[in-house]
Amino acid sequence: MLLQVIFSGLATGSIYALVALGLSLIYNTTEHVNFAQGEMSMVSAFVGFTFFNMLGLSLPIAILLTLLISALLGIITERLVIRPAMRAPHFNIFIITIGVSIVMKSLSGFIWSHNDYPYPSIFPDETISIGSATIDLIGLGNIGATVLLMVILYAFFKYTRYGTAMRAVSESQNAALLMGVNVKQSFAVTWAISFVVAAVAGILMAPVVFLSTHMGIVVINGFAAAILGGWGSIPGAIIGGMLLGVIDNVAPLYLPSQIKNVVPFAVIFIVLVIRPKGIMGMERFTRV
Amino acid sequence: MQLSGKWKILSWTGALVVLLIMPLFLGKYSVFLLSLLAIYALVSLGLNLLMGYTGQIAAGHAGFLAIGAYVTAIFTANFEWLPCPVTLLLAGTISGIIGFLLGIPILRLKGFYIAMATLAFGVVVSEIILQWSSLTGGDDGFSVPAARIGGFVFDSDFKLFYLIIPVTIIMTLLAKNLVNGYIGRAFIALRESEIAAQTIGVDLAKYKTIAFAISAFYTGVAGGLFAYLITYLSPDAFTIELSIDFIAMIVIGGMGSILGSIIGAVILTGMQQMLAGLLDLQVLIFGLSLIIFMIFMPKGIVGMLSDLRERFS
Repeated sequence: MLLQVIFSGLATGSIYALVALGLSLIYNTTEHVNFAQGEMSMVSAFVGFTFFNMLGLSLPIAILLTLLISALLGIITERLVIRPAMRAPHFNIFIITIGVSIVMKSLSGFIWSHNDYPYPSIFPDETISIGSATIDLIGLGNIGATVLLMVILYAFFKYTRYGTAMRAVSESQNAALLMGVNVKQSFAVTWAISFVVAAVAGILMAPVVFLSTHMGIVVINGFAAAILGGWGSIPGAIIGGMLLGVIDNVAPLYLPSQIKNVVPFAVIFIVLVIRPKGIMGMERFTRV
Repeated sequence: MQLSGKWKILSWTGALVVLLIMPLFLGKYSVFLLSLLAIYALVSLGLNLLMGYTGQIAAGHAGFLAIGAYVTAIFTANFEWLPCPVTLLLAGTISGIIGFLLGIPILRLKGFYIAMATLAFGVVVSEIILQWSSLTGGDDGFSVPAARIGGFVFDSDFKLFYLIIPVTIIMTLLAKNLVNGYIGRAFIALRESEIAAQTIGVDLAKYKTIAFAISAFYTGVAGGLFAYLITYLSPDAFTIELSIDFIAMIVIGGMGSILGSIIGAVILTGMQQMLAGLLDLQVLIFGLSLIIFMIFMPKGIVGMLSDLRERFS
């Protein structure tokens, strides 16, 4: 029983990990906190829905197109609302991203209405049993897809030119600029990648929770995961996400079942009060 | 346009008289709206003291509003003899103490972490209200008895207007004095640079927790008035979205400005009325204005006006 619950926790957690990853990517390169990360998942999931449900494309093609469009939306968002305020305090950018999340949600409401839609998964809706535990393939597939995406991103940052440039920008924007790195371009690429990560999260999440404009609230779980793991740390985002997923699923076993609604908020609150740097986080120092 | 002292007092008195006799010429609903506007103005002032003046992003003020509203409702229902100003003061004080207590752990945090902690706080408050149903009525909501002072009962929107407006005016004047005094200057110093402020002797821990407490006090009193005006409380009214509406209110009106707080409240109330049936459009306009103001006019309408005035004089 417990094993089973932990497995479903990891399946949920892989989605939280992706949201946390998207947040960390943007934070690491740009030092901006993106409140719209969850709405980005929601919008992408709806774009995919439009492709295969309204235009009748096959699921793999629809998903491929969705990822492309998401990258484009990432670049557009960065160009439209982040670039003009690039020199503004981070406080202002945070509020701008709150605005972006509100705009995305209400526009999606206009386009797709606020109803719930069933969403097909790319993985078969079957279960296999291992020992006493039954494991559903959608959950297993979600964990697998998350791990695969992590590996791809790791390789990107480690071995490609863009990836190296982005790591340089995250170390120091000015030094990177002096070394000839195109900082603005790095910002745009970061937003594109983060939007794609959000799209993957959205496509994996929608079959589990139904597709609706309220899906974006997952950003809170993403924040909780990223804070639990250590804000800004990529391994922390993954560990935090998985751990939060497990807590999410195990807590109702031992505590009243309504506890589920409060888990992410309680985690944010407790971690921030007891250990603000999270599990893997480092202290950050600012120069006066 | 600069008015000399005597004319200034005269014009303010005139405005006050107009405001106070206004209900005689207005319909019931307009009086209700003016009262709601005043309540939003109180929230806006409280939030602005914390966000605009002290520079702490607070994304959970719906929580303080809920605390003030429920404290008022519970006290009014259980102790009918309590005069309502005392109840309101209690609501503000309890909310303020909780704000103070919340401020202590938040001292360790910076920037967006504060936003996250306050956001979490707001949601936890409405969840507690929902679960603690023996006290709050939980899901069923809570019918608020009318406010009273001795034998006088504020049993209509018209009478409530004369409770809400004076409270708002007094608290606005207090806020104005506060920000122009030592405490206000300490807040602004902290906003500009925490390290520089500490260097010149501003006690960071003290003034940050004070900012939280005062902000929560204002919002708590507003919550109490809100309870009297709405007469029925339900925990799902105090959402994250409401907290974000409050942020939008001060961003649009003007951060770090008393006048801006009030302008923000006028705009929030006006927008809610004009677009009452079109929730999506209302939300869309709010989101867009958050973005546009933050990019082009981070000081809000008040900042824009003073820029214009400088350009033409």
